[in-house]
Amino acid sequence: MLARMSDWSKVTRPIPVPNELSRPFWDAARQKVLALQRCQACKHFQHPPYATCVRCMGIDLKFEPVSGKGAIYAYTIMYHAGDKRFAAAIPYASIIVELDDAPGALLAGNLLEAPYTEAKVGRRVEVIFEPLNDDITLPQFRLARGA
Amino acid sequence: MWEHRCKVAVSGVGFSKVTRSAEIPLAAHALEAVKGAVADSGLAMSDIDGLATYPELPATGHAMVDGITIVSVNCMMAMLKLPNLAWHVQVETVNIGGAVQQAANALLAGVCKYAVVWRAMHNPKGTYQNLPGTHAAGATQFTAPYGFGGPGQGMAVAYTRWLERHNQSREKMATLAITQRRHTQMNPRAYFYGQPLTREDYLGSRMVAYPFCLYDCDIPVQGAVAIVLTTADRARDLKPRPAYIAGYGQRLAFEVAGRIGSLSSYMEGGRSSSSLTWERSGFSPKDVDVAQIYDGFSASVIYGLESYGFCKEGEALDFIQDGRMELDGELPLNTFGGSLGTGRIHGLWHIIEGALQASGRAGERQVKDVNVSFVGASAPIVQGTTFIFVREPY
Repeated sequence: MLARMSDWSKVTRPIPVPNELSRPFWDAARQKVLALQRCQACKHFQHPPYATCVRCMGIDLKFEPVSGKGAIYAYTIMYHAGDKRFAAAIPYASIIVELDDAPGALLAGNLLEAPYTEAKVGRRVEVIFEPLNDDITLPQFRLARGA
Repeated sequence: MWEHRCKVAVSGVGFSKVTRSAEIPLAAHALEAVKGAVADSGLAMSDIDGLATYPELPATGHAMVDGITIVSVNCMMAMLKLPNLAWHVQVETVNIGGAVQQAANALLAGVCKYAVVWRAMHNPKGTYQNLPGTHAAGATQFTAPYGFGGPGQGMAVAYTRWLERHNQSREKMATLAITQRRHTQMNPRAYFYGQPLTREDYLGSRMVAYPFCLYDCDIPVQGAVAIVLTTADRARDLKPRPAYIAGYGQRLAFEVAGRIGSLSSYMEGGRSSSSLTWERSGFSPKDVDVAQIYDGFSASVIYGLESYGFCKEGEALDFIQDGRMELDGELPLNTFGGSLGTGRIHGLWHIIEGALQASGRAGERQVKDVNVSFVGASAPIVQGTTFIFVREPY
């Protein structure tokens, strides 16, 4: 059987709405930089962003670039579109990635540029960027290339 | 051990008709369930002086309309006009189990005598999930753009991690689905009563969100269930044999909203919600005669069995094999069919079955010689509560 690629061409994704906590994340993504919230006291990265450091209660939090390389922590293959606008892509892989630079911070994404059957726990991935409009670019993932 | 163990009991229980989707206002279901529970106790409605619920609407994106899509405490007050009402509460952090625990606390504090707790669940006609639309705000901004469209998919990701880290296979879950469906055939009130399920049905079923197939997911329904709680002294004077609350616990850990897929969150939630239940009751998992563990999605049972301490991490799918979860097995499990059998009524039906088994009132599906009856009333990740009911106070 031929490896199946999900067809994303007919999918209209919901556009993320940045808020006070998340705006720097989306501003960086628009520049094709993955930046996560980091506690300046204990150096812990966290995602999604939060009002305080969930490790040390620090309140001095800044967004810092991370390499975008990591491993699939978990995934699911979607066969039923909870959101009907994703129906054209079914089946597709939605993945959760743990970045090398930010252990414990889990990022959602899709596995792009590969058959959905390639999603496996532990597989190496790297970030790529999918512009949705002039303001919002979505961090996404593909299988890691090279080392 | 808890000084208040066995001082509060579940007395009567009540049920509404369960339909696939809304045909009559949800308030009518809630009223039917509450009236049923009060009548089962042999009480008059005017005896009821405490009210508690968790009114959340799980069908996302639909308007909260009191009496139609939710049934709040205010709605119940307006319907019942209780002449002796003395106390009420609506909980937020721990689902319906939290409402039951608050009612127990109110009874222990002496601020009411007979409390009713209900859970009413709405299933709108048409689309269950009304997803964010063109924009994704709040916690969904990091998930909805990737096609995470509901709780099932969120739970499915942690399940793949569990399966692959422990080198397990999802086919083993068929045992859970078909055993619970067999139990369902002894529960005439359940949505899937009269509809058996075979291993072949499970293995051949369509995928929803891998590793979940159709039969790993409870079916959304419209319905309500209710219980009467009272102090042990009063419960002994009522019609049904009481099911005494020997201990309870609630989830004591929370990770940031919008963080999904974390298997450790389920485990930490389950451990924290059960550790005080064991300590307060003085029992341990090996003392349990029968267990109800929340199964809105099948993997919740796996996380529950492991995090509550019934088996080691990674072993739950093996634990449920070889008849162990049958009515005459080592740990009879979800004896009323679970949510997979009754339809999605959240955890109050699990609490009801835990109480019925403890008081010997489970009829055809009664497990023999039950004293210690355990309930994990909701998914341990965010809303877990646990209970132990006993037949004999100690």
